[in-house]
Formats: sequence, structure tokens, C-alpha cells
Amino acid sequence: MRSVWKFLSSIKLAIVLIILLTVASVIGTLIPQGRSAAEYTSRYGVLAGLFTALRLTALYRSVWFLVLLLLFAANTIVCTVTRFGPKWRRAFRPVPDFDPKSVCSMRSSCRFRLPLDLEAARGKVERELRGHRYAVNRSTGEGKALLQARKRRLGWFGSDMVHLGLLVILAGGLTSGLASRKSPLALAGGQSAPVPQTSFTLRLDTFETEYYPGGEIKDWKSTVTIVDGGAPVKTGTIEVNRPLKYRGVTFYQQGYGLDWDLARCVLELKKPGDPAFSRAVSLRVGERAPVDDPDVTLIAIRRFVPDFILGEGNQVQSRSEDPNNPAALVEAWKGEERVFSGWVFAKFPEFGQGHGTGAAAGRNAPKVAVVLKEYTPSPYSVLEAARDPGATLIWIGCALISVGFFLAFYWPPREIRIVLEASPERVDLAAGGQASKSRESFQAEFDKIFESIRRPE
Amino acid sequence: MTESTLFTIAFVAYVLALLVYFAALFARRDRWAGGGLVLAVIGFLFHTAALVLRTVASGHAPFTNMFESLSFLSWAIVLALVVFGRSARVSRLGPYLMLIVVALVALASSPLMPKEATPLVPALQSYWLWLHVSVTMLGEAFFAVAFVASLLFIAAPAVDFLRRYLPWLRIRAVNVEEKKARLDALAYRAVAVGFPLFTLGGLIFGMVWAYRAWGSYWSWDPKEVWSLITWFVFALYLHTRIVMGWKGKRSALVAIIGFLAALFTYFGVNYLLAGLHSYA
Repeated sequence: MRSVWKFLSSIKLAIVLIILLTVASVIGTLIPQGRSAAEYTSRYGVLAGLFTALRLTALYRSVWFLVLLLLFAANTIVCTVTRFGPKWRRAFRPVPDFDPKSVCSMRSSCRFRLPLDLEAARGKVERELRGHRYAVNRSTGEGKALLQARKRRLGWFGSDMVHLGLLVILAGGLTSGLASRKSPLALAGGQSAPVPQTSFTLRLDTFETEYYPGGEIKDWKSTVTIVDGGAPVKTGTIEVNRPLKYRGVTFYQQGYGLDWDLARCVLELKKPGDPAFSRAVSLRVGERAPVDDPDVTLIAIRRFVPDFILGEGNQVQSRSEDPNNPAALVEAWKGEERVFSGWVFAKFPEFGQGHGTGAAAGRNAPKVAVVLKEYTPSPYSVLEAARDPGATLIWIGCALISVGFFLAFYWPPREIRIVLEASPERVDLAAGGQASKSRESFQAEFDKIFESIRRPE
Repeated sequence: MTESTLFTIAFVAYVLALLVYFAALFARRDRWAGGGLVLAVIGFLFHTAALVLRTVASGHAPFTNMFESLSFLSWAIVLALVVFGRSARVSRLGPYLMLIVVALVALASSPLMPKEATPLVPALQSYWLWLHVSVTMLGEAFFAVAFVASLLFIAAPAVDFLRRYLPWLRIRAVNVEEKKARLDALAYRAVAVGFPLFTLGGLIFGMVWAYRAWGSYWSWDPKEVWSLITWFVFALYLHTRIVMGWKGKRSALVAIIGFLAALFTYFGVNYLLAGLHSYA
């Protein structure tokens, strides 16, 4: 046990661990993380197997990287704890004894005589030191007084605070790794979806994409309502950089998508028997639209594919998400009678003859033709619902590190020791002081304090 | 004056500052070095005006593409020089820091670098853009100071050798040990400013912003990992120095590696590794 403690308290171990973590991190940026096995094989050939076995392809989640981090955490704890006690004593316990000689060997020092008695001299020195915000410890002996004055004592603990912050951040990272939950939510306007692992649902009321004058995307705005227990409880607008929070779950705007399954189309109705006739109808996939015409009263789009192809068994498929061969499955009715049913193609309008059923099918020339004039995919909002209990720890750790850095670098402790020795009619004063940093400004303060003590009242 | 005119004037002033600095160095005229600093300050003022104009015109922070961030980084290095330059001990770094500044500004001015301000993608529209990038780059500017001081430290014996055996170079005779101690202390002081700034701006503000924009404070994105690597190197610098008592050459080497890591985080990741930070 003792040897383990000794091993973990070594600063050399810390150096080795930091170097190992650095090297591992570099490797993790040189080998792309989390790609497919095929990609690694094509990239690295025979080495791919080795890389995968060593978990270099998912390095930051590998057991050995985690072990390094835990060892680093243990090392940080032990190093900080073993150094804490002596530091605490140095900052808050008085030094039992010192003499004029040791005092004068400190970095700043001075010696002079005061024409006062011991009590008066001690009172004056203490007043002056307290005036400069020093905390003074005193011990008095036979005909002498020892004063130990310290200030900015927290400066001794800056590095400890940084270490503590680092540990809290590691704990936060571990918590996030184990307990954070993220679920993507893709919603079109009006749609709702249950938020996984909660009792509530998210409804997207409106979704808007804003553009710059040049056409670049400026922002996405999703106005959402959270419905909990059947009742709307919170409404808000989510933008990138402006998430919405509800009961520990944060909703983020991730981006947007284009949904061809809900495309909005403009169809043109024609009658082969009447070249002058033309009627445009705008509707969405799944919608039915009434038409004001004696031959056609209702029209509907059953399905839309952006890149029409007939797959196996003559199944209609989309080859891609690009509108290379847009096609809509359209039906039209005259009252109860279906007068049109079939795929219409934007690029091949002559195919839009379709075929009727019932009475219309009996005749060779259909009464109605349909042309697919326009088609736009409907945008949907890509949101993310995230719950990350580790985040709070991260912010606490960050705050500790920030304060710790300030204390370590810009709050250097200062210490002054003074020996007062009484002789008849006067007191011999010997003083020494040191600061761990900014020695010039300490020297200036030191000189000022002792000039003021020296000056007769 | 347009922004590009102001930028060009700043560039010219920096080049002149560089020339005056080196002239002072080789002619052994200490007073001329003051002129170098004055020229650098003049360039800095024009550069500041250019950055302000660009911010007003584009409506967003002037560091959202490579040109802008190079311009801002060089501005931050001049700022570090001006801040540190007030103490006489630092003025000797002036020529070398100006060399870095002129190199960065020249790179920014290269015709290959697209200069027009582009609209901000949604992820960048946040006040954290200001905090994250400006504080990080200020930190990196101080790393540059530490880098120059460390290089001079390592070069000091060689310079002394040249002085002794190539007298026509007219290198000033100085106490090499004293000079090295000064450079060592200066490098440490620069790290003491740069490291907290880099931690705050690069890592902490970066995590806060990533959490707001993407919903995760850390994604092991190459830019994030390289910031962490830079942080590790400077953590090594402090620990080897304070706890293990390293000083001088070994410390200087660590500081040099640290600045190179910061430089790679800034440039290398963009051009050699792909990731979330693809914009800048």
C-alpha cells in the first residue's frame, strides 16, 4: 500500500502520464476515429487490423485511454494531498521561532532602531502591517517580540484549486460518458414526437429558415411547444446557439432536412379533347384538393419520389435524394368515379396520360391528363434533445481552474518576519520578507512599510 | 480610408518597424530600437482601425476565416509586444516578434487568401465567438513571446560564438549568463500570462460555447484535441519548472514545442485534419 502511494505521489509519474496522454491524443487525431472497417482497410491495409485491435480507431473511448486518465486522476489526487499539509502549515500556522540573523537573510530585509519601548514599537509595527492588509501572528518572549505577517495566503493554494478543478472536470466527463443521453428529433411543422426517456412530447409549431441576401443560410428557427401530461407547458423558439431547456432536457437546433415524402407540388390538369383547358392545382403529398370543373372534382397526390426508378419486382423506388427524375403518383375523381390514376413525370410530361377506372377505363382516350409542373421538398427541423448530468460538474471544474490560475499566477503570497529586541531606551528591529512573485512590487511595499515605521510620530 | 488601405498601411509600418529594429541590432544603436517600437505602435493603430472597420462593415467579429484570424493573431502579437515592450528587458525581443508579425501579415495578404468577409454560418452567430477566439489568440500571442525568448535563449551560446570568431558581425559583447537568465525569466512570464488566457479562451470558453451550440462541451474533434495537447505541453513546462526545478535549455525546448503545438492547432488542423472547426 505504501509503495503504491509512493508511486502515485511521484511528480515523475505525472510527467510520464502527461507525455503518454499527449502522444495518445496526437495518434487519435492522425487516425480518423470511428470510421467503418472498410475505410480503415483501404487506408491502412494490413495495419488496419492492428489499429482496430489496439483500439486506436476509437481511442478516446478505449479502456487503455480511460486507464491512463484514471491513473492521471489518482496521481493528481495523491500529489495534491501530500503537498497540501505542509502548504497549509506554511500559510496558516505561525513559525515557532526565528532570529535576527535568519530574518536578515531573506530576500528583502532591513535593520534599524526605534526610540520606543517594546510594547509601543510592537503596536506601531502591527498597526502598519495591518494597514497593508497583513495578518499578523505574534509571540513574545523575555524582552523580545516575534512578528510573522502574511497576506494573500490563498495564493499558495492556486495550483491545488487547478488540480481540484481538473479532477472535477474528469468526474464530469465520466458522468457524461455514462449518463448523457442524446436523441435526434426530426420534425416537420405541426408534427409531434415523444422525447425519449421522458414523460413529455415536443411539438414543432413552425419552422423557418432565414437566408442572407446572398442566399446563404442565416438561421433556423423552430417554434416548439412542450406538451407534458396532455397540456402544453412551455413554448419557445429554438435557434442555433439558443437552446431551450425544460426539466433537465435541453433542445438544440442542429440543422434542417428536406423531405421529399412531403413535397409540395403544382399539378396542371389538361384535357386532351380541349387544348385550351388548363388548370393548376397546388397541393402536398397526402393531401386532396377540390377542383372546380365538371369533369374533375377532386385530385390527390399519393406519393412522390425525387429520382424515379423501377426496382426489383417493378417496385417504385427513388435512386437518390436529388430531383433527377421527379415523379408523383396522382389520382383524380369525378364525384365517385376515378378518372385518373398513375405516375406523372416532370421530365416526361407525355407520360401523364394515366388511366381511369370504371367508365373512363372503358374508353381509349382518357378525359384528363396531368402534368407535374413544380415540386419542392418540405423542409423539416432537425433538433436534438440532450440530457447531460455531467455538464454541471464541468462548469464547476472550469470555475475552479479559472480562480486557481488567478491565485497561482496573480495572487502571490507575501510574508514578512520581524524580530523586536528591547534594550534600554530603544528597540532593535530586524525585518525580512519575501514574495513568491512580482518581487519588485513587494520590495516597494516593504520599503514603504518600514519607512513609515521608522518615521517618528 | 477603406479597410484594405488601413491594413496595407499597417503592413508597411510593420515592415518598417522590422527594418528599423534590425538596423538597430546590427548598427548597435539602442535608441533606434525605440523607433522600431514607435513604428510598430503606428502600425498597430492602423491595424486596429482596419479591424474596427471590418467589424462594422461585416457586422461580426473580425476572425471568422483564415485571413481575418491571421490578421487578428498578428494584431494580438503586436499587442503583446506593446504590453511587454514597456519594460526595457523585453524590447530586445522586438525584432524577432516583428518578424513573426510580418510573416503572418504577409501570409494574410497573399493573393491565395480569400479576403472578403463572408456571412456567418448559424453556429458562429454568438457572442462567444468574440470571447472564445480573441482570448485564445491573445494567449497564443504570449506563447509567441515565450517562443521567441526561448529560441534566443537556445541561440545565445551560438551568438556568443559568432561574436568571438566573426568580429566583423559587430555583435555586442554581453554577459551570456545574465542574458540567458533574463530570457528564461521572460519566457516564464510570458507563459504565466499566455497559459491562463489560453486555458480560459481556448478550452473553457470553447467548451461553454460548444455546449450552447452543439449540445456537447467536448467532442474529441481534432481542433479540440490539439488545444488539449498544447495545454498538456505548457502544463509540462510549468511542472518540470516549478516542481522539478528545470530551467534554461530544457525549459526553453518545452516552451518551443508548446508554441509549435499551438501553431499546429491553429494552422495544421485546418489544412491537414478535418473536423467540426472547419471554418477557422
